[in-house]
Amino acid sequence: MNWQKPFQQLMDNPVVMKELRGRMRGRQAFVLLTVYLGLIAFFIIMIYNFLYGITNTVTWDPSTRQAAGKAIFGTVVLLELFLLSFIAPGLTAGAITAERERQTFDLLRTTLLSARSLVLGKLGSAVTYLFLLILAALPVQSLAFLLGGVGLGELVVSSLMLVVTALFYCTLGIFFSSIMKRTLPATVSSYAMILLSFLILVVIFFMIAYIESVSYNSFGVQAVQDVLTAAAWFLISTNPLMAAVMTEVILVDQQSLFYTTSPLFGGAGPIYLPSPWIVYTILYTGLTFILILLSIYYVNKPDR
Amino acid sequence: MSAIIEIRELSKHFARRLAVDNVNVTIESGEIFGLVGPNGAGKTTTMRMLVTLLEPDKGEILVGGHSVRKAPREVRRLIGFMPDSFGVYGDMTVQEYLDFFGACYKIPTAQRLSLINDLLQLVDITHRRDDMVDTLSRGLKQRLGLARVLIHDPSILVLDEPASGLDPRARIEIRELLLEIARLGKTIIFSSHILADVAELCTRVGIMEGGKLVAVGTLDELTEKAVPHRLIRVAFLNQVDLEKAQFALSAVPGISSVQEQEGLGKAEWLSLEAEFVGDDEALRGVLANLIAQGLPVVHFSEETQNLEEVFMRATQGIVS
Repeated sequence: MNWQKPFQQLMDNPVVMKELRGRMRGRQAFVLLTVYLGLIAFFIIMIYNFLYGITNTVTWDPSTRQAAGKAIFGTVVLLELFLLSFIAPGLTAGAITAERERQTFDLLRTTLLSARSLVLGKLGSAVTYLFLLILAALPVQSLAFLLGGVGLGELVVSSLMLVVTALFYCTLGIFFSSIMKRTLPATVSSYAMILLSFLILVVIFFMIAYIESVSYNSFGVQAVQDVLTAAAWFLISTNPLMAAVMTEVILVDQQSLFYTTSPLFGGAGPIYLPSPWIVYTILYTGLTFILILLSIYYVNKPDR
Repeated sequence: MSAIIEIRELSKHFARRLAVDNVNVTIESGEIFGLVGPNGAGKTTTMRMLVTLLEPDKGEILVGGHSVRKAPREVRRLIGFMPDSFGVYGDMTVQEYLDFFGACYKIPTAQRLSLINDLLQLVDITHRRDDMVDTLSRGLKQRLGLARVLIHDPSILVLDEPASGLDPRARIEIRELLLEIARLGKTIIFSSHILADVAELCTRVGIMEGGKLVAVGTLDELTEKAVPHRLIRVAFLNQVDLEKAQFALSAVPGISSVQEQEGLGKAEWLSLEAEFVGDDEALRGVLANLIAQGLPVVHFSEETQNLEEVFMRATQGIVS
């Protein structure tokens, strides 16, 4: 595949250049980057000191060192996921609404710039900035490699999940920005959606877990167990933090990066389920694609 | 000249309000067409449909033969639009601003620089090229807006209130600039509340009210329709018997509604105003008649009707 062509297309999009220039011209971009790296560094130091304190040894043995490496790596990834969930919609929720508020939207719509170029340009510039954040955190993340315990698979999967999450949350912001007239409601809606997806899914997950344990104790019907297990598993896979944690658990417990055979809640037979990061990646990539199409549709729609 | 814009039976509703009601007009290539009307008359709505920002409910607009519904991109190639209030990207320099819009019109990078140089010269803001757009005055932003609409060399400029909110000097400068742009062969359609500007710039005028296009034509044509008679003013030296003069003037064929007029010329003159129907030759006859009767005529003129009078007669203050 020729990777130069899409990159060239991205760079040829006037919106990308305008947005990136505008973003990097102000202080905001550098302040955000500094705060982001500062937070990650702070947590790493805390964990390192904590682990060093409880082991109470001057020289760690290899297994302790590896455990420390895993802990630091996992924390950095989760922290990055969490921070990206906050930063991404903030970057894009005003993408289209700000053009409306600034009264530049009509100017753009009467040019030959297509709705697709406008949406992808806004998205591209926001995602490029988020990639900068992810890349900037790599040296801090790589501290974990000095300690060991982190494999290439984990690095690839975590990076993939970070990229997919960044893309999805940016697209969510763009979507609300394209359907709403003002930035404030678009921003509130984006964050509310993210919060709901975190909270509601967790609540549903625990409800399913409860029903499953009750039904198993009462009826012991395997088919019901399997359906509930699959539903719970799917819900885990829709939440970035839970998906990342469960992927790591499966990797550590079963040495498997792609699937698990363990029943979730103590059912009779093993069920083959894909590792949560696979479901997460497929699901969120699909949702991202749908939201991009919807955003283009709403931006392209003439006023009535 | 050929028709570059054809608007046929154009209508637009907003909820239950009829904003544009069955508008029909053809605009020729190279024209400066002024659209005037009170607030809420439907001027901006008509313009927004013309530039593909609004979808008409009924009717058709053809721009250079392209339908705004079926071929909006082709229409956008031909039109440069400046809304009544438009924003600018304050965090860009003047050059970056024009370069961005040049890129939006797919103008190759190599051509953009020389194009921007030419446009900055045309609108006379070359000296502010590297300044941030936010630092420009309103008048200069308006000039930058004009440079922006010209960036893709469109045949038609659609300008909604281009002089609104400008100080008198900036307004005159924009007017001069529009005349210069018109000399480049562009068709200009603009709306304005400043009727003097419209009268001075436009080759034809359309008057809108309540969503309807109530009158279209050159200023002379509109005047002729709105005011069917001519208004003449005559002044005499003060030794004249005004009643006799009034009687003499009333007796001339074509003259009616003779009234005493104050404030014409010198204070000691005695003046009359009358309505007259007839051509220039008949008008010459009126003057000859008065002189033949020995009346001491010192002033004889026809009051030209201005756009304000035509506008007031054509409209009734209806808002759609």
